[in-house]
Amino acid sequence: MYALEHMILQLLQIFFAQDAINGFLGHPQTVAIMVGSLIALAGAIPGTFLLLRGMSLTTDAISHTVLLGIVVAFIVLAALSGTTPDLSSPLLILGAAAAGVATVILTEALYRSGLVRQDAALGLAFPLLFAISIILVSRYISNVHLDTDSVMIGEIGVAWTDTTSHCFANCEEITITEDDRRAVMMRECTNCVSENLYPRDDRATFEEMCSNCGTYTPGEAWSKGYSPQKPELIFFPRSLTVMGLLTVLTIVFVLLFYKELKLATFDSGLAASLGLRPGALHYALMTIVSLVAVGAFNAVGSVLVVAFFIIPAAGAYLLTDRLSRMLIIAPIFGVLGATTGYELSRGNVLGLFQMSDLLKSLDGLLKLNGYTDWNVSISASMVIMLLVLFIVAWVCSPRYGLITLATRRWQQSRQFADVLILGHIANHEGTPEAPDELNPDTLHEHFHWSRRTMQWALARLRAVRLVQVENDQVILTERGRAHLLDFRQEMGIR
Amino acid sequence: MTPQIDRRPWIIISLLAVALLLCIPLSQIIFHINYNYTLTVVAVGGAALGILASVIGCFAVLRHESLLGDALSHAALPGVAIAFLIAGREIFPLLIGAAIASWLGTQFALAITRTTRIKQDTALGIVLTGWFAVGLALLSYIQSRPDASQAGLDKFIFGQAAAMVQRDVEVIAFAALISFVLLALFWKQLKLITFDREFAQANGVNVRGLDLLLSTLLVVTIVVGLQLAGVILMVGLLIAPAVAARQWVHKLGQMVFLSAVFGAFAGGSGAIISGLDVALPTGPLMIVMASIIVFLSLAFAPGRGLIWQKWQQWRTRSDIADNRAANLPRPQSES
Repeated sequence: MYALEHMILQLLQIFFAQDAINGFLGHPQTVAIMVGSLIALAGAIPGTFLLLRGMSLTTDAISHTVLLGIVVAFIVLAALSGTTPDLSSPLLILGAAAAGVATVILTEALYRSGLVRQDAALGLAFPLLFAISIILVSRYISNVHLDTDSVMIGEIGVAWTDTTSHCFANCEEITITEDDRRAVMMRECTNCVSENLYPRDDRATFEEMCSNCGTYTPGEAWSKGYSPQKPELIFFPRSLTVMGLLTVLTIVFVLLFYKELKLATFDSGLAASLGLRPGALHYALMTIVSLVAVGAFNAVGSVLVVAFFIIPAAGAYLLTDRLSRMLIIAPIFGVLGATTGYELSRGNVLGLFQMSDLLKSLDGLLKLNGYTDWNVSISASMVIMLLVLFIVAWVCSPRYGLITLATRRWQQSRQFADVLILGHIANHEGTPEAPDELNPDTLHEHFHWSRRTMQWALARLRAVRLVQVENDQVILTERGRAHLLDFRQEMGIR
Repeated sequence: MTPQIDRRPWIIISLLAVALLLCIPLSQIIFHINYNYTLTVVAVGGAALGILASVIGCFAVLRHESLLGDALSHAALPGVAIAFLIAGREIFPLLIGAAIASWLGTQFALAITRTTRIKQDTALGIVLTGWFAVGLALLSYIQSRPDASQAGLDKFIFGQAAAMVQRDVEVIAFAALISFVLLALFWKQLKLITFDREFAQANGVNVRGLDLLLSTLLVVTIVVGLQLAGVILMVGLLIAPAVAARQWVHKLGQMVFLSAVFGAFAGGSGAIISGLDVALPTGPLMIVMASIIVFLSLAFAPGRGLIWQKWQQWRTRSDIADNRAANLPRPQSES
């Protein structure tokens, strides 16, 4: 991972000045948006397949179990190494991903036994695993940043502070030994603590100790003044690397196995009979989901990461019918949400209005005590924007949107009404009861409609010259007769 | 002719309830647990919540809506936050806010599934994360305010059973009473829509109204349980006892009662065990206890359990083998 970052930075240095790169990678907003977008990319692609397989909520289970994996790996590593392990260490990530896959296996074993349905199997598995991890956290892990807040919300806003440093010039590590003239020597009492003595006591023995000996990284050496020249350092945010790698992995996986995934998703039986091993592919997909869930865990927390899997895919599902287009729309959807979400967290609602203005107007109602600064969790805001975008897609989708749906229903009911009236007229035209049945003023009574509905319908029909009124009777025109005939033929009536 | 009522399951269920109740004096003798006032309140509250959740959970499990509880408990969060902004740290406004928010969540999910081709699980996922995010944003706004009045609001969400007082127990008991009366009143109709919706609809049962009743009861249960078990663990308390009970019996009435017994045991024993050690959180322990019951049930339940299945398989296999052995000479002798 280090080598990869180094390579990228070397490449970047060809084009940009070092300060520019450092400024770019050290900017909280840029890093938060980039990490958020990468999570959205890496989540939306497997999320699409999960949605189509009816497994969306599996991500919820996985993201909760990931916590168990992290906690167990954390405890094991802490016991083995004796120090507090780093939360973004690759071992932790692998352990957690393994836990995620294990959940999927456990859930599937539960419902394959035939005793429990799929939804109940999920509902059994993940509260249990989550409960175990909470018990472990509260019993064995105290005062590390594995508290409920970081579990729920994540810390995408501070992603830029967790970095690895890359040095490009003046990179000597400085080692200070006791002989060095920079060494600071101190006298220290060796038996004061063990024998409970005061340093002035006669029995106290002293030893010369070096207080600053050791090896310093170039950065530390410069800041402490041990090295003469400032090293050229670039700080690379760690979550950027992790999520970048995971995104690339996801994309490569889908590109390589696109055909197989497609077939296994839509017709698992055919895929199996063609020898494509949908089972293996399924677990590979689950492994990727677990990896992404773990990688995103630090940034957005265990609940919100689910949104990055589900919502973009669901939004894309409303916009297109083709898998290939879904796989392109969903990531765009996610990235859009992440970008606008950052703005929302700082109070800018899509450039339409400022949250603080809204809060000011709500001040009286909600007892805000005049506190109207809107500066909230970034990851939550990103998810809110995903939800807003989903609602927009739901309302406005050209094919499945609510507007289209309402228009289509309205059109259909209008067409139905038209044909109904035409049919009624055709039935009664020229019969003895025609003056009664076809009177435009009482026509609505025969349909049990309101007078106004009928007036509207008649006006419409007359406007397109399907009917006309003669001698206080509504009769069909030639066009109307032809229209009705067409309809009857179409419907196969007589 | 009156149908023959099989009394055995009922006898077994009551015997089991008595046996589990006996655990209390036993625990006093063996583990020397001191039932002081606090522990009693928490244990009674846990048991009451267990009963309420497991009874409502039976319907959720049978209607394949197990994960509705998950979505609803997350969806309560924005309601809590808004209620806090309006009314401050009063328990009833918070509960009402939570109930309204999760109820709106169900309706939103329902609207998605009705008007689009998105399936129920995805719709629930959207509500779960979307509502939760709104809640988190509001919460982080509340926490960023300089006044300290918000202290302890997060405990409301993540659950803190040890802080339960008698008033909370009364709230749970009240909610349970109302729910059970409603369940009893609409028992026949609820049974019908649980097992055969189309038939119920054809017979003029108000299916939508009853759906609404059930989801409202679910919302109330979750909201009442939130501050005790926390957002995520509430799901386990809803589902686990019901799934366990399903393994043993085949009638809705028996399932509800057995699941109530399991729920009470899980809730009560979880609370009591957590009383042994400060570092053991109550909510998770309840879930662990409930899950233990589930795994025992899955393994040992007669007629359905895994061990029973294996034995049945073995018996069938040996039967076949015996028959084949008995039949072997015959074709030869006929030829």
